[in-house]
Amino acid sequence: MAASVVDTYSDPNMSWMNAPHSTGTSIMACEFDGGVVIGADSRTTTGAYIANRVTDKLTKITDHIYCCRSGSAADTQAIADIVTYHLNFHKMELGEQPLVQTAAAIFRELCYNYRDSLVAGILVAGWDKKRGGQIYSVPIGGMVQRQAVSIGGSGSSYVYGYVDANFKPKMTKEEAKKFVTNTLTLAMLRDGSSGGVVRLGVISEAGVERSVILGDQLPKFYEG
Amino acid sequence: MSILAYNGGAVVAMKGKDCVAIATDKRYGIQAQTVSTNFPKVYQIGPSLFVGLPGLATDTQTVYQRLKFRMNLYELKENRIMRPKTFSAMLSNLLYERRFGPYFIEPVIAGLDPIDNQPYVCNMDLIGCPNEPEDFVVSGTCTDQLYGMCEALWEPDLKPDELFETISQALVNAADRDAISGWGAVVYVIEKDKITEKHVKTRMD
Repeated sequence: MAASVVDTYSDPNMSWMNAPHSTGTSIMACEFDGGVVIGADSRTTTGAYIANRVTDKLTKITDHIYCCRSGSAADTQAIADIVTYHLNFHKMELGEQPLVQTAAAIFRELCYNYRDSLVAGILVAGWDKKRGGQIYSVPIGGMVQRQAVSIGGSGSSYVYGYVDANFKPKMTKEEAKKFVTNTLTLAMLRDGSSGGVVRLGVISEAGVERSVILGDQLPKFYEG
Repeated sequence: MSILAYNGGAVVAMKGKDCVAIATDKRYGIQAQTVSTNFPKVYQIGPSLFVGLPGLATDTQTVYQRLKFRMNLYELKENRIMRPKTFSAMLSNLLYERRFGPYFIEPVIAGLDPIDNQPYVCNMDLIGCPNEPEDFVVSGTCTDQLYGMCEALWEPDLKPDELFETISQALVNAADRDAISGWGAVVYVIEKDKITEKHVKTRMD
């Protein structure tokens, strides 16, 4: 998550300092046999200052649909609130729990139509009775892509290899939680804009169970 | 991000009772990416004299090499150990020589005077303006956080083991609120006949 700040030492003429706006975060979602596991770090930065070290980037949209937010904190919070409103209304009209695909479509409408004004990379993840556990990635620009496993945020660059090497379809819930925890820990180790604790969510037919893994309980990797 | 924040890092030094301490983080990063967790910015330059060089990493290495060169020549010509105040003047001169194309370093000096054993700390800006306070000095990308921690924790006449705790807590908690500092820490406590080097376990995020 990043908020803008004026840096008194910046020289706009030096192009290497005008690096692209960082979506400081590490987020992830992973399908398992019976639902999805979602995870995120807990760091919000204002420039290099850590404004919040215990942020919750896993936001409830409905009882069975959550989203993982990366990019501008303000933009993603506003979008999530609007989607929650629309989906609530839709649920009442429909008379049953809305589909994850519907939530993803509403996210897409906002992220695509306002693409010039927004900086938002979102993972929509949840469970519905038509298709079970699903993950829809809605990156900056507003495309939608269903994936079995998806990572996002600035920290994700460091863990594409790890995810490709270690993901297996039809994992158990515990295997999936371990996989997400390990991946996010590795991302937090390398990415300055990610850190704090690992927040997890497990979404299945039963609903959502949230958990937190504190810094000293994270898995240990080579720190050379 | 500014040039002084390209690599990130944090250094702090404090005076105690007949001792000084200096501490550094160990991160070497390129903007948000952490490349190594074994890059301390504090170097020993004399038997009781340490210098911390946070800022642009390439200049950390170059300024240390140039400083060591001048120090070696001084010690050979004068046949005596350089005193901390003199070292401070030398470093200030080295930086001001580059007034219009400076080294991107804001150094911190900590040492005990070899003659009267008085504790000495000093910091300077990137063009060599020295500041010699009676309590503590800070430098790096989390100076705001460091000032807050030091102002709250420091008191005069701390004994070496108390000073170690104080400076460690100041550095670690300040760096934990900075996205580009941390990933390990080294603390040196300098007394009359003893130097302790301790690697402090920190958050690695």
